[in-house]
Amino acid sequence: MPESGFASILSNKQSEPKNGEQLDLFLQTLINGLLIGGVIATFTIGFQLTFGVLHVIDFAVGGWVVLGGYLAYYISALLKLDGFLAIPVAFLLFGAIGYLIGPILYNVRNSRTARPELMALALTFGLFTLLRGGMLTAWGFNTHSVPTALSGESLTIGPVTVPMIRVAAAVFAIVIAGGLFLFLYRTRYGLAIRATAENRQNAALMGVNIRRLSANVYGLYAGITAMAGVLMAAIFSVNPEVGLRYTLFAFFVAVLAGLGSVGGALVAALMLGTIEAFVSTYVGSSYSLLAIFATLFLVLLVSPRGILKRGL
Amino acid sequence: MKSRWAGLIIPVAIVVVLALMPTFVNNYWLRIATGALMWAGLACSWNMLGGYAGYINFGQSAFFGLGAYTTALLMGDPINLPFFVTIPAGIAVTAICAVVVGGPTLRLRGAYFAIATWAFAEALTQFANVMNFTGGIGGLNLPPFLNERFFYYTMVGAAVLTYLITWALFEHSRFGLKVKALRDHEAAAEAMGINTSLVKLQTFVLSAVTASVFGAIFAYWVTFINPKSVFGGDITDQMVVMVLLGGLGSLRGPAIGGVGLFVINRLIWMHWGDTAFYIAILGAAIVLVVLFLPDGIAGLFTRRSTKSGTVLDKAVGKLVGGGEGGRG
Repeated sequence: MPESGFASILSNKQSEPKNGEQLDLFLQTLINGLLIGGVIATFTIGFQLTFGVLHVIDFAVGGWVVLGGYLAYYISALLKLDGFLAIPVAFLLFGAIGYLIGPILYNVRNSRTARPELMALALTFGLFTLLRGGMLTAWGFNTHSVPTALSGESLTIGPVTVPMIRVAAAVFAIVIAGGLFLFLYRTRYGLAIRATAENRQNAALMGVNIRRLSANVYGLYAGITAMAGVLMAAIFSVNPEVGLRYTLFAFFVAVLAGLGSVGGALVAALMLGTIEAFVSTYVGSSYSLLAIFATLFLVLLVSPRGILKRGL
Repeated sequence: MKSRWAGLIIPVAIVVVLALMPTFVNNYWLRIATGALMWAGLACSWNMLGGYAGYINFGQSAFFGLGAYTTALLMGDPINLPFFVTIPAGIAVTAICAVVVGGPTLRLRGAYFAIATWAFAEALTQFANVMNFTGGIGGLNLPPFLNERFFYYTMVGAAVLTYLITWALFEHSRFGLKVKALRDHEAAAEAMGINTSLVKLQTFVLSAVTASVFGAIFAYWVTFINPKSVFGGDITDQMVVMVLLGGLGSLRGPAIGGVGLFVINRLIWMHWGDTAFYIAILGAAIVLVVLFLPDGIAGLFTRRSTKSGTVLDKAVGKLVGGGEGGRG
């Protein structure tokens, strides 16, 4: 059953639970939130990595999530295949597209215009607007759900019942994030990426080809983000307007963790998933976006460099 | 070097044309002219911070919306204040919000500021969506006042005032030099004794307040507002595109971009109706301008230096003799 956690028009506040069920509801909300947080973590880690290497804040992150979701929708609706089969396709397809876009971003960020930082930001903002407008034009405002083999199943552990699809998505997310961490910390190329994120000049002096590395990192990030989009579409549903929501998620995590901090992103993403689940359950899902924006904004006012770790 | 008086010909001509416009065109085109003026003014307000100070504000619609909602709330029942009293109120509300948003975040790198303004605008949108006093997602109605000429001349006044203030403050004053200095090299500007945090905050508040005035006029003009129509991200998108297209950090850039893009918008609207395709065009326009025309349309006609000539000259030179490319 696709849930509508999106900013719905009506405030559908849940009916008050009885005393005995209160703890169960609390646990259920917590676990649901952590599971979603795990999926959010996958693309925010990539987002942070991109910032570290390219020094670009990617507004288009939500666009890649939605594109991944649409890919899953078309694979399941047109080819009558399981939605999860879209995961590898999404990685290869959007990884390739990201690989082509990476050098363009790199060129703009390192161009000799007056404010390259500002121009790169404007470029990803334009890309996001282009993706959103293009998807709205091509596919309209309708919301689509993505059926998978696990849709409708649920898993019961003690008092807590969670949809199977969320568990599976969280498992996938852990595999993706774990793989990414292994790649970053256990391979030579991962070392080059981390070195570049830390100090570009020194990395370049050590023989890292920053331009090619930027293309690879952006491709990797776009691919991972699209995979996360498949998972998100399977859990919730997909329409072109939700991209904004995922861009917000990435920003929220980036601000909480400090821009560029990969480890902090994991913690912040889990926090975000939990906050969202609790606000949706206890206050009403139409308040969840307001709560996230307000938290993000307050964190920026109080501790603008992130509360988990000092950012760049 | 042009003479002092030659530079006055174009502004005077523009003011004369604006003053006489209602006698030549029908109400339909007068509405379009009013809208074009509003967008030229909004683009100019965004350009104050984005172009002159180099800080990207992705939440300018927040201030446009604050002006609109303040006017709508104060003019509607039960308060029923006259229109021109609500404008200062909107300015005060906007200025306070701008100080609260800008104070802490303008001290940081531009990226945090961009995120903070964006989050602020989206939070306000959601706030207006869920609150009762803002009319929720349905919005608010204002007392209708059907006088196209009144709104046209009010918009002319606001737009001309905006451009005059920009001209005086950013192009012809020490304050403008400080702003440009911090844009070009913030650390160096600080070393010269410029209080960069204060200058940035002043610019930001001025930019926000300007947008709120246009929001107030817009609300009274269309007599009906809702969160999407005044806080929506599309409004900021459009301002950003207009300034980038016209040219960052110049006086005529936002004017060219604002009027040009708004007229294109209306033409698309006339032919195809309210279409999502326009959003895609906006996005494509931003991407193309950043990649191929970073100085905007105004940059095509500006002499960067006497030696290299304008970008157009260089392009022609390249075509003709394979002249030296790239910028000095």
